Amino acid sequence: MNRNSLRARVTAFYVGMLALALLFFSVAVYAGARAYLTRSMERSLSNTARTVVADYLVPLDKQGQAWFLAEMSESYPPGIADPFVRVSQGGKVLYQSGDIRDPLLRVTTLPLPADPLNLSSFHRATDAAGQPMMMYTMGYRPPSGALILVETGASMEPLTHLLYSLLKILLIATPAILLISAVGGYLLMARPLRPVVELTEQAEHVGLTHMGKRLPIIPSGDELERLSLALNRMIERMEEALAHNQRFSADASHELRTPLTIIRGELEALLQIPDLTPPAMDGISSALEEGDRMSRIVNSLMTISRLDGGGERMEMLPIDLTNILQVTLEHMGLMAEEKEIALECQITAPVFVTGDAMRLKQVIVNLVDNAIKYTPNGGRITVRLLAENERAALTVADTGIGISPESLPHVFERFYRADRARTRESGGTGLGLAIVKAICGAHDGTLFIESEEGKSTTLRIELPLLNLSPRQVADLQHSAAQTVRVQPTPMASEDPAEEFSQTKM
Amino acid sequence: MRILLIEDEQKVSALVKRGLIAERYAVDITADGLEGLEFAETYPYDLIILDLMLPRVSGTEVLQRVRRKNTFVPVLILTARDSIDDKVKLFELGADDYLTKPFAFAELLMRVKALLRRGPVNRSSTLRIGDLELDRLTQQVKRGGKRVELTAKEYALLEYLMQNAERVLSRNMIIEHVWDQSFDGITNIVDVYVRHLRAKVDDGNIFKMIRTVRGTGYMIRGVNES
Repeated sequence: MNRNSLRARVTAFYVGMLALALLFFSVAVYAGARAYLTRSMERSLSNTARTVVADYLVPLDKQGQAWFLAEMSESYPPGIADPFVRVSQGGKVLYQSGDIRDPLLRVTTLPLPADPLNLSSFHRATDAAGQPMMMYTMGYRPPSGALILVETGASMEPLTHLLYSLLKILLIATPAILLISAVGGYLLMARPLRPVVELTEQAEHVGLTHMGKRLPIIPSGDELERLSLALNRMIERMEEALAHNQRFSADASHELRTPLTIIRGELEALLQIPDLTPPAMDGISSALEEGDRMSRIVNSLMTISRLDGGGERMEMLPIDLTNILQVTLEHMGLMAEEKEIALECQITAPVFVTGDAMRLKQVIVNLVDNAIKYTPNGGRITVRLLAENERAALTVADTGIGISPESLPHVFERFYRADRARTRESGGTGLGLAIVKAICGAHDGTLFIESEEGKSTTLRIELPLLNLSPRQVADLQHSAAQTVRVQPTPMASEDPAEEFSQTKM
Repeated sequence: MRILLIEDEQKVSALVKRGLIAERYAVDITADGLEGLEFAETYPYDLIILDLMLPRVSGTEVLQRVRRKNTFVPVLILTARDSIDDKVKLFELGADDYLTKPFAFAELLMRVKALLRRGPVNRSSTLRIGDLELDRLTQQVKRGGKRVELTAKEYALLEYLMQNAERVLSRNMIIEHVWDQSFDGITNIVDVYVRHLRAKVDDGNIFKMIRTVRGTGYMIRGVNES
């Protein structure tokens, strides 16, 4: 569970609110109960005192001492009376109900109130055993004689016990309620969030393969519906921008073709003029070479924009990548040899993918060509192809000049050149890796680059692996042996020697 | 041989016409699809070169309407579009070949010649230029009677050059014939192979047969023509 997730945050927020409410409620209940219990205890104490005064002290003069004692011991029998009662006059006890057994209270030795001014008041005291108790003292002055003090008292024990029980209940119940509501709330939050989860999953797929698809609209009439609508509008705008971009590259390269044809044709015609001076020949030839490069750039741009736009028709067939790799490396062997570069190929078993053989071949050609271009004489290039984790992984590792860390993130961009002087010299188009990336993307593949400046560069391509049964493999190898050429060249070829070049390579 | 060129870009048609006339073809030019159709229906052309972007009637439609009346005249399409879809569609409509702009004139000429080459082609098993000999059956190459050992690719390259002797072959044409289009992006694969071929064929001989035509490509020529 992610602590920052919306779900967790919402749950935490309302659990917090609930905790606050419960705390407030508990405090109120506790304080209320406590006040109520205290007040009813006080009322019972003061009522008893008043009863003693009214019923037994007022008629005392008339009825006499003996009657008083008899009445008192009957109404407030010693050892039982609750609250306990003590009547005293001028430091002399007239009557007291004495110690109470349940709850145990030793009050016989309780000192008489020293300050007779503190009348009609409640105060706390402790008995001989240290039990907390509440006392009430009331004064009565008979028409004849000195002030009589009536004291009533009761143990606080039942009250504290009750309050303690209440506190215990609150302390146990509150966290339990919070826990239940947190879990319940967290689970409940999944329901309103489910459309958001779905929306997210759909949004993840947008742009991975192609834009085309729209997100489902959540018909909730609230923020979620607005969110899905807004996201769809955003996808639309992105799609438009992308399409515009692609159309622009396609249009631009398209429009460049006719002028390039004219330039090229005029220059070729110029070369036919007899007795050209060497500088003129040189100039025209050089212009032709650059025209050639421009044509390649235009073609590459066109290819990339078609691949990116999904407009390129590709023949997606199950193919053995090792086959293509071996054939391609054979074709390029001489180029490596020229620079005394060791071109090593590590293949263990056939690796099948679904793809366009021509395009995948182009990927290998571009990567190996790059590696040869940027590896000094006497270096080494290792090409490895293997199947791992359901992926076909092709790596091309060289011991070349490498790429600086700051250039590394840009190498797949169109026309990006890590080392301007060097690439211009070798006449590249600046689009080789961009094409590789576009082809990779069209095959649902991923492209990685790793480089140590001055030491090495490793490019890695991963394509979804195609798992074939041995029978399918046999069928495929059989048909591959029959049709070697993947794509016919437009020009009709009738020569047996051409077939030779196709099959033997 | 009479060729109809339907192309609205005047400079392109002027260039192509100039080149084709130099090769002794009769060339008619029109810049407009409708007029092109009228021409094609009026005169018995041996070949039609057709641009796709035309005013009034598009190239594709011209192709369709020409094919409805005349199934035999070869049609070569000049196009700025090069997606496989476009190409497939053109062949379905009855085009015989296409050439993507920008093109080298040498390539256009080769395709024109290939399309006009009706009837038996020279299929002799031995190609011979000067003292260089290539036997297609045994796949053996001899220069001045001495055996020259070639790898398969070098053999294919030499055969293509010899088949088109005295004619400049652009790198693009060589790549498409000897390798395939995946090698398009690479600049120097042709140069490397030609260098190796040269070392085997020309080294030790006074006359160098394999020539570099700067800015265009390569050609092979015999001693007597130089």
